[in-house]
Amino acid sequence: MVNPSDIIQAGEHVLIKMPSDNVKCVVLNAGSTISLGKFGSFKANDIIGHAWGNSYEIYDRDNKTRVYHPDDMNEIDETANNNREIVDDGASQKLTSEQIKALKNEGLKGELTGEEIVNKLKESHATFDKKTAYSQAKYLQKKGKKFHKVFTPIKPTTYSLNEYFYIKNPAKIRDIRMDTLSQLLSYSNVHAGAKLLVVDDTQGMVVSALAERMGGKGTILGLYDGDSPHYDIVKYMNFDQETLNSIKTLAWGRIHRPVGEKTPDELQDVTQLTGKDLEGYHRRLKAYNIVEESRKILFEGDFDGLIIASQYQPESILEKLLQYVRGSRPVVVYHTYKEALLETSTWMRKSPDLLAPQITESWLRKSQVLPGRTHPEMSTWGTGGSLLTATKVIDFPVQAALTKRERLAIEKKNAEAKKLKRAREESEASGSEAVEATTTTADTTTSTTTTTSTEEESKEDDERSSKRVKQE
Amino acid sequence: MSVVQQSFATYKENNTIEDGDLVVVYLARENMSIIRIKDGEYFNCKFGSYKHSDMIGLEYGTKLGSNTGRGFLYLLYPTPELWTQVLPHRTQILYIADISFVMNFLNLKPGMSMIESGTGSGSFSHSIARTIAPTGHLYTFEYHQERVNAAKKEFEEHGLSHMVTLQCRDVCKDGFNMENKVDAVFLDLPAPWEAVASAKKAFKQDKIGKICTFSPCIEQISRTVTALSDNGFVDIQMYECLIRFNEIRVIPMWTIEEAMEKQRAIEKKRKRALPRVLREPAAAADEQEEEEAKKIKIESADDSNVSSAIGTPSSTTGSEMDEGVQVKSETATPSVPSTPILSSETASPSTSSDPRERIDPKNVMVTRLPVEQRGHTSYLLFATFTPATQPPNLTQQNAAKKA
Repeated sequence: MVNPSDIIQAGEHVLIKMPSDNVKCVVLNAGSTISLGKFGSFKANDIIGHAWGNSYEIYDRDNKTRVYHPDDMNEIDETANNNREIVDDGASQKLTSEQIKALKNEGLKGELTGEEIVNKLKESHATFDKKTAYSQAKYLQKKGKKFHKVFTPIKPTTYSLNEYFYIKNPAKIRDIRMDTLSQLLSYSNVHAGAKLLVVDDTQGMVVSALAERMGGKGTILGLYDGDSPHYDIVKYMNFDQETLNSIKTLAWGRIHRPVGEKTPDELQDVTQLTGKDLEGYHRRLKAYNIVEESRKILFEGDFDGLIIASQYQPESILEKLLQYVRGSRPVVVYHTYKEALLETSTWMRKSPDLLAPQITESWLRKSQVLPGRTHPEMSTWGTGGSLLTATKVIDFPVQAALTKRERLAIEKKNAEAKKLKRAREESEASGSEAVEATTTTADTTTSTTTTTSTEEESKEDDERSSKRVKQE
Repeated sequence: MSVVQQSFATYKENNTIEDGDLVVVYLARENMSIIRIKDGEYFNCKFGSYKHSDMIGLEYGTKLGSNTGRGFLYLLYPTPELWTQVLPHRTQILYIADISFVMNFLNLKPGMSMIESGTGSGSFSHSIARTIAPTGHLYTFEYHQERVNAAKKEFEEHGLSHMVTLQCRDVCKDGFNMENKVDAVFLDLPAPWEAVASAKKAFKQDKIGKICTFSPCIEQISRTVTALSDNGFVDIQMYECLIRFNEIRVIPMWTIEEAMEKQRAIEKKRKRALPRVLREPAAAADEQEEEEAKKIKIESADDSNVSSAIGTPSSTTGSEMDEGVQVKSETATPSVPSTPILSSETASPSTSSDPRERIDPKNVMVTRLPVEQRGHTSYLLFATFTPATQPPNLTQQNAAKKA
């Protein structure tokens, strides 16, 4: 049984990785030809219906494609060569730039394969044989990236889209990097069936990631400002209808029904409407119902998490939304700038509703892995944003009942007091000597004092417990 | 006991602690433990004794005060993230940075099936199970019988056993014995290269698959890369991921002018300690008035210790001082002192008022990383399993669509 999401479908967004390692995002319309610039073009139909995961080579004159299997990685056999004799004078390559251009054109027309071009370059390179084995491999790899005509369709997922946008336009997703986003997902404990409250200003990157992890089960309520939610990235994810339906939105300005706002039914009498007016009524009714539904979801509360990746001050959002989150649920705040979270963290520390706020930053490094040539890449990603996480708790301190020992101690004390009282009553009744009476009175006084002090203590305890807002 | 078994994979519908439930007891960030609620039992810690029966009926997240009123704790719902922090270690475990990155890279989501080897202490297993629930399945392998037994018990107790298959098996020697079954493979083994060929068979053959191996040493990576490449895996990539926990502090920032002003105040006070005869008469008369105004401020001559004064953080006394200065400038007309030391003071900007000894500095909020932090966990090596080129059913589907 093949799952439709495992094969490339017509009309979907697809990321195309090119030999240069650049990635291009295209819509794969049936019958269309997709241009990859200097790497040629291919017909969408040639890959539609195929499983994801293969690479394709463009060959021949008619933009034909065939599945391409890269060669196995091989250990490099060391040679005695070194770069002592190699002079960087730009004269090693005997082909002129015009000749190379001509080769490239032939390649584009499909008369030459990328491999053939690279071989020609290699053959006319005067000092290629003098290069070290590592240098030769590097040369071929570098030229291959320029002249090979191999592309790989990549399925848009949280990771691949995040990487694509992080490299192409990090500002669009507020610099949230793959590792930071992955930690956001972990900290938010997102899973199928969760009900999440989200404020996402990363063009829907966060909402998409959460929705993918929920697989259409559960609800995401996203609060947005402006005319409409800007969840651009959601559309790249090729979500099924069930997943799309799990994403609900509500404008900040519409959380509360504006005073005097009328329902579509109050505005118009549906029985009197015809034609365009009726269509308009139905449109308004639909929009009205969507807002009503989202409001209902919000006011029902009981959210399983609050995730904020907003440009607005996080405290101001927390003040409004924290009340709708259940106890023992995560609150995760993402921000491009760590400094912007410092005040929020201090605010959280003071809030009795939040436990253990923590600011984290992630560090990620990629390495080149080739047999005998493994090392970290020369440049790495600097920024990836910061996370502030905490747990919503219920600030309604419940005082534990007394332990058995304490209960027994109190019972004993009560019993003694009772006994004493009885003794006093008895002595009063019998009307005994003055001396005895005095002793009893003294005893009573002492016991009264004890009671008072106990009361005071318990009062102190109460005060202490009410003061115990935060120990940390 | 609750009717539906509580699970790490999802929250409870009513979010209420019931008899038989698991609760993570939070005392401090570094002091958490997991307990199973049983009526009649106690949870004891240095802050007091807590009755389980007091916890029953409370909502998760509730703050529970101890009977002595001295301490309190939070009752949290068990999640895979908390489990990682409280689980009994039987092996080295994976932490949130690696767990999160691997799950993201492998594109884990509900409904996926996955292989994990070895199970170890089950830290990662819990996160995987939560993420692929309710329809996914985790096949986890461990060759150590004791660990298998412990993990099996935990999966059962944590409501995960219906979606986790645990086997005691040396996968390097005997393979996974699985074919065409999974979407992703994670290998945390001493010699992952020995399991690569068998892992290849376990992948669903007509779709893309992702594999990750987790090794602390670069030599292990080297051998695994060769094995992956020999077995036709492509797009081999390696990452390292670390997480840094920031601590927030507020530090005072005195300006150099403020520091100098403080110094002048101290010097002035020192001078006052000189016998009256050694002082300039005009200045002495002036100082008499000053002393009256400042009586409240000056507590003892010992305060003149410079370093301690600088080390004093801001406090409410600062504002009192400002008032004192105001009073002084009203009562005493500023004199022009003739001694060389005092004349140097006149040159300073604050001629009209006395130099302040205690100054409220500007406070700056800063972050600090721990002195010692994790520098390396393991290398994360990823590769892609490529599907069979043209699975027959797909071609047929394609042809049918076109027709």
